[in-house]
Amino acid sequence: MPRITIDEQEIEVVAGATIIQAAGQAGIDIPRYCYHPGLSIVGVCRICLVEIEGMPKLQVACYTPVAEGMVVSTKSERVQQARKHVLEFLLANHPIDCPVCDQAGECWLQEYYMQFGLYDPKMQEDKNKKHKAVVVGPHVILDAERCILCTRCVRFCDEISQTHELGIFNRGDHAELMPMPGVALENPYSVNTVDICPVGALTERDFRFKTRVWYLDTTPSVCAGCSTGCNIEIHTNTERTYKAEGRRVARLKPRYNAHINQFWICDEGRYGFLHVDADNRITRPAVRQSDGFEPVSWQDALQTLAEEIEKTRHGGGKIGVIGSAQMTVEDLYVLREFSRRFLGGDKIPVHLRPFEEPYHDDFLISKDRHPNTRGAELLGFSVSPAGISKMLEACHKGEIELLFVFHHILGRGFESGYIDEAFAKCRRVIFIGSNEQATSERAHMLLPASTWVEKEGSFVNRDGRIQKLNQALAPLGESKPEWKILRDLSRILGNALAYFEPGDIFAELAASHPAFQGLSLHDIPADGLLLSTTAAEAMAVAGEPG
Amino acid sequence: MSFSLSEQTEAKIDQVMQRYPEKRAATLPILHLIQEEKGWISDEAQNYVAQRVEVPPIKIREVLSFYTLLHTRKIGKFHFQVCRTVACTLRGGKSILQHLEKKLGIKSGETSADGMFTLTEVECLAACEIAPMLQLNDDYIGPLTPEKLDELIDGLK
Ligand code: SF4
Ligand code: SF4
Ligand code: FES
Ligand code: FES
Repeated sequence: MPRITIDEQEIEVVAGATIIQAAGQAGIDIPRYCYHPGLSIVGVCRICLVEIEGMPKLQVACYTPVAEGMVVSTKSERVQQARKHVLEFLLANHPIDCPVCDQAGECWLQEYYMQFGLYDPKMQEDKNKKHKAVVVGPHVILDAERCILCTRCVRFCDEISQTHELGIFNRGDHAELMPMPGVALENPYSVNTVDICPVGALTERDFRFKTRVWYLDTTPSVCAGCSTGCNIEIHTNTERTYKAEGRRVARLKPRYNAHINQFWICDEGRYGFLHVDADNRITRPAVRQSDGFEPVSWQDALQTLAEEIEKTRHGGGKIGVIGSAQMTVEDLYVLREFSRRFLGGDKIPVHLRPFEEPYHDDFLISKDRHPNTRGAELLGFSVSPAGISKMLEACHKGEIELLFVFHHILGRGFESGYIDEAFAKCRRVIFIGSNEQATSERAHMLLPASTWVEKEGSFVNRDGRIQKLNQALAPLGESKPEWKILRDLSRILGNALAYFEPGDIFAELAASHPAFQGLSLHDIPADGLLLSTTAAEAMAVAGEPG
Repeated sequence: MSFSLSEQTEAKIDQVMQRYPEKRAATLPILHLIQEEKGWISDEAQNYVAQRVEVPPIKIREVLSFYTLLHTRKIGKFHFQVCRTVACTLRGGKSILQHLEKKLGIKSGETSADGMFTLTEVECLAACEIAPMLQLNDDYIGPLTPEKLDELIDGLK
C-alpha cells in the first residue's frame, strides 16, 4: 500500500487508486466534472488539476494513479490559477442563463465558480450558439449551450444502459452533445443522465420549471416500484405546491447503495410517485349509496365495518382478505395479527397473476413489481398467484360474505364481468387503498390508505435485505397507513391491538420471529441489512399458518 | 438500402484490419478506403463500418462529424476547395471564390444539380506560396486569376 502526501497530510492508500480517490479517503474533495465513480475515467474536463512534486506540469487527479512517496498539492497557487482558467474556458460559450435554468442551486458550474473562479471575464467575442430546449426523449430535455462536454451522459449510455443514444458531434467549440439522429433517449434508465449531468444541460421534463431546488426537503427512502428496492431520496416541496399543480413530491433521486442500485434508478420507479398527489387519491372514507359514494367519518366507517364483521362471524359466514406486497412489513404484520384475532384465519394471498409480463432485465428492474414480496413471504403470506384466483373463485361460489381488498387493481386481465359477478356475490367488499381504480369503483366501502412516501416502515427486497422507509409527507387528507386503520378497527371490536408507531410493531415482530431477531426498526442502517437466510427460512416455516 | 463495396476495397479493408490489435483503431483508414471508392460516406456505409470495427454506429458518426475531409453528403465529380485563410485572402482569395460561384452557379457549400461540381471553403492548405490557391480533387492549383479559372473550368467540360 503506497504512502503519499496530500496537502501535507500523509496517508496510506490502496495501490492502483487515483489521486482523486486517495484524496477522497483523506477527506479532501478535489473538484470534478467528468469524473464519476460509477463510470469509466476519461480525464477530459481538466478541473481536477493538481500539482505533483517533481512533475513539471499539473496533472489530472482523476486519471493519475498514486505512486509511493508522491507529494501532491491540491491547493497551491498554480492549482488555483489553473482552476480559474479551466472555468473560464468552460464558461466561454456558456449562456449564463441560471435564472431560467432548473439546475441553478445544484449546478457545479455555479458551485466551482464561487469556490475557485471569481475571475474577470476577458472574452470580447460573441458566444457560439447551439441548440436549446431540445426534447431528446420522453423524460429528458437538452440545452446544448449549457453542456460542458464532460461525456458523463455519453458514458452512462455506453456503459450502464448500454443503449448508445448520445454522442458528441463536430469539433472544437462547435462540438455539441446530441442524440444519434432519429434516435430518442428512451432507455428504461434514461433520467440517470440528468442526475449525473453536472450542469443544466440535461434536465427533467417532469420537473421542468416546477420549483427552485433550494425549496426542496430531502428524505432518504426506498423505491416501491419493484422487488429490487433501489435506494432513493424523496424531494418534497410542501411550502410552494401552487408552483407545481399541488404536487408535494417534486421528484425522486437515486441514493447510493453499494449492494443494490449503486448510483442509479430506473425511470419507471422514478415516476412511481405521480399517484401520490393525483386527483384520484381517496382522501376520505366513503360508503356506496345508490347514486355513488358518500363520504363518512372514520368513526362511522369503522363502526359500520365492525358491525359487519361481527354479523358475519356470528352467522358463521366467511371473511376473505386479499393483501398486498405493496404494504410494509409492519402493515402486513398487523394485518396478520388482526386476521388471526378477528377474521378467523390468516391464509392471506398477496400476489395477483400479472395480466402481462412486465418489462424486466438483469440490471435493476425486477419482474416482481412489488417492493415487499420477501417480507410478505417471511410473514407467512401466500405469494402464489393461485391464492387470489382461488379467493375470487370462492367469492363466485358465494362462499365469501365479506371481502377485504388491499390495493390490488382487479379489472384488467380478467374476463369481463368476472369481478363484478364475484363482488356481487359478497355482501360487502371493502377496498383499502390510495387511489380510485377498477377495484374501488366496484367496492361498497372505501378506506383511504397512505402512500409509501407518507409512511414509515420497512420492506424486504428480493435478496432478503430489509430496508427502512422514512416518512417524507403527512398522509393526504384523512388517509392513514394500513396498520393504523386495522388498529383503530381492533379498538372498536374490543381486544385492541396496542401499537403507537411502526417501531412498536417491528419490536413485537423482532421478539417473535427469528429472521428479525435482535433488530429494531430505527437501527436499520442506511443501506439496509441482509436478513440471515437460514433464520429467514426458519421463520417462513414458523410463520406458515398452522 | 443494401451496401456493398468492390472486391478490391473489401480486400484492402481486410488487410487494414490486420494491422490493428484493436479493431476500433481501423475506423479512419476504412473510412478513407470507402470514400476513395464511393466519393462519400453514406448512412449505410457508416453502419457497415460500425459493424466491421464492432462499435455502435453513433461512434462512427462522431468521427465523421469531427473530420471535414470525410464527406457525409454526395459531392460533385470535381471538388473545388478554396482557401480562405490569411495569405490567400490578402492576395484576392475572396474574388476567386466569387468568380467560381458565378461561373459554376452554386454557392460555397453546394453541389451543382448535375453532380459535376462541389464548392467549399477551407482553411490554409499550407501552400501560401502560391496564394490565392484552391485544391481541385487531389491537386493544388495557384496562384489563381479569374482568367486562369475560366481556362481551368473550360478544360474540365
Ligand atoms: S449533457 Fe451534461 S453530462 Fe452530458 S456531456 Fe454535457 S455536461 Fe456532460
Ligand atoms: S428497479 Fe425497481 S426498485 Fe429500482 S428504481 Fe426501478 S422500480 Fe424502483
Ligand atoms: S475530473 Fe479530472 S479531468 Fe475531469
Ligand atoms: S493561406 Fe491559403 S494556402 Fe495558406
